[in-house]
Amino acid sequence: MDTTTPAPADPRAHLTSPATRAVLRVQHRVLDAVREHLGGRGFTEMLPPVIGPVTDPGARGAKQVDVDYYGHRYKLMTSAILYKQASLTAFDRIFCIAPNVRLEPLETSSTSRHLAEFHQIDVEVAGASRDDATRVAEDLVVHVVRRVVEHCVAELGVLGRDPDAFTDLVSGRGFERRTHATAVADLHGFGHDQNPDAEIDWTGEALLSSKSSSPFFVTDYPKGSRGFYDRENPANPGRLLNFDLLAPEGYGELCSGSEREHEYAAIVARMRETGENPAKYAWYLKMVREGVPSSAGFGIGLERLVRYLCGLDSVWQASAFPKIPGVVSP
Amino acid sequence: MTALRAGTFPEQAVRERARTGAAAAFPSLSDYGSALLGEPVGPAPADALDAARLVPPVFMPLRLEKLIDLAREPLHGDVDLATTVGGFTARLPLYLSAFGSTRAVGTDLGLAAAAQAGALGIPMVVGENVVPVDGYTGERSLLARISAYADHAPDGAGGVVVQQSTEDADAEVWNRVYSDPATRSLLDSGRLGFELKVGQGAKPGLGGLTVVDGDAADRLAGQYALEPLGDRVLRSASPGTFTEEILRQQVRLMRNNYPRARVWVKLPPGRDVAAAADVAWQAGADAVTVDGAEGGSGWAPTASLAGVGLPLAECLRRIGSPCGCLLVSGRVWEGLRAVKCLAAGATATGLGRAALLAVDENPRSGLTRLVEAMALELRLLISALGKYHPSALSTEDLWSPAGWSVPASSMVAG
Repeated sequence: MDTTTPAPADPRAHLTSPATRAVLRVQHRVLDAVREHLGGRGFTEMLPPVIGPVTDPGARGAKQVDVDYYGHRYKLMTSAILYKQASLTAFDRIFCIAPNVRLEPLETSSTSRHLAEFHQIDVEVAGASRDDATRVAEDLVVHVVRRVVEHCVAELGVLGRDPDAFTDLVSGRGFERRTHATAVADLHGFGHDQNPDAEIDWTGEALLSSKSSSPFFVTDYPKGSRGFYDRENPANPGRLLNFDLLAPEGYGELCSGSEREHEYAAIVARMRETGENPAKYAWYLKMVREGVPSSAGFGIGLERLVRYLCGLDSVWQASAFPKIPGVVSP
Repeated sequence: MTALRAGTFPEQAVRERARTGAAAAFPSLSDYGSALLGEPVGPAPADALDAARLVPPVFMPLRLEKLIDLAREPLHGDVDLATTVGGFTARLPLYLSAFGSTRAVGTDLGLAAAAQAGALGIPMVVGENVVPVDGYTGERSLLARISAYADHAPDGAGGVVVQQSTEDADAEVWNRVYSDPATRSLLDSGRLGFELKVGQGAKPGLGGLTVVDGDAADRLAGQYALEPLGDRVLRSASPGTFTEEILRQQVRLMRNNYPRARVWVKLPPGRDVAAAADVAWQAGADAVTVDGAEGGSGWAPTASLAGVGLPLAECLRRIGSPCGCLLVSGRVWEGLRAVKCLAAGATATGLGRAALLAVDENPRSGLTRLVEAMALELRLLISALGKYHPSALSTEDLWSPAGWSVPASSMVAG
């Protein structure tokens, strides 16, 4: 893949190009398939807030965007996680197509898979375990890919994407799983210096992804690599009951998810472990203290999924109005 | 020179060094050839570090090594002071300690100290609460201090370390600095770091305290605890809650979120300082800074200043042989105390009040001259011990009337 594909200089040229039109049609089909699949399984689609007094602090090194809300400092959402947990007091199974804004570190401008503004297909299920969540994620991805392969032959043709790339994925064999510790050992085996206590770094993620022909889960990330809401495994302290789903062919992470912390004291302690000041989470902690359901869920990066489906060099090509970190654009 | 005062500090001696540089490392030159010199008679030692003496040996195998290396007798000028300080290449085993947002640090002093520290090639720490109180951009801001440093730093030397405390997390100081194009050259050259502030010497167990006027108090309301203090307002930040697990995970999260930045942890002089330092190093901190109870430039309750926290000497004793980079501060302003700290296990010593007084005395070159005098003393004293790099120093170089006892578990074999 070409990691140096420049951003479009002109929105008109980008929007009117046959490639962009094909990509946006695939995106439309993906959203249809998501709604078809989850709607048919008892999920209620909700509309997530865009601003709030606090948002997900879990994004690696990314700056949040402040909004002056009648004299109060509000944030644009970096993810819907807090509202997803809260929404389970209304429905047991919810999803949303959530817009997120993260002012990512400038180094991410060259990863080909970061946008400062993007969307997540966010799913949360009350009473679910991590295994339940990975099953939902896998079924959803397989369904979406099948629908795209069935209905977007012409678009994939325009983009030069061979539908056979998804043969393994739709075969029904199931996605492989490996733990974070195994992934780290694999990377060390490839000669990559991966910190065992941290998130898989961008280079390591691309390396693992390039060695696979089908999406695969990485599970059990170490505490200290994720936000306070990923549940610590009581049977394996220091490890989280969470997962990432990585696309093959070097496309990297598509999705992050976890079983959630939902008990008040555990959440407060985990907030401190992640350097957070609990005072600013007042509304969320009040809800948690009064009780929110246990749950598991995930968020799939919509543009990343579309990039993988379309075989694009860079994730910005999967956005009508892309915002590459640090690049001033419409 | 402003109205800056430091009554509990050897202020006049520091100011003299800021004026005259290396000459101040000796008795008055006008006395040369006429005065009969000897051990100065002064006030009783202020603490165990002052009471300790450096004790050169007669037999010096490391001097022989240096002689063989040089093919001539070594002199003090052969001492190499370049040191790795918390992951940065430093030209001297020194760093500029954090100054907070207290009023004693006016625009000129903070910027002057930053520019000179940059030119000297020693790391600089920028204190917490600078952003919430003075802002991110503007004259007194965090970015102004960072720019003043970066504009003067030689290639490949020094580094800037930005503190963040619990309340600063709300302002996302680290995220902002890490994503800012203005700091990219520092980041790209491996010269940006973040320091987790767990506590400080002047008020162990308490968070940051500043006295603000009514307007500033209105701005800070909702973010900090505020209470009237005379005709002003006392602004208190929380010290933050730490357990072993919280400290371990916060350090790991810093390494996870800012993989290209160095990670420092600042500890207060607590009774479990050795255990806390170990947790930080084990979690991957590039440096642990320990502020002795005698340290600190900031506002603090008189009671805390008078009787809370371990003196630096006791912190050094409890830590023993550090298993990572240990940086210490606390009334260090000249080479003798600095070399004692290095011999007791530190990799470098911080200049806090001394640096402020020096730039107050001379904003253009006060800190440069103070450091010039220290560098000469460091070279003279380290060579007197028969050693030629700070890392060769050890507790064998120290003698104290009370004995310089080191925990048995921390003794280095041989």
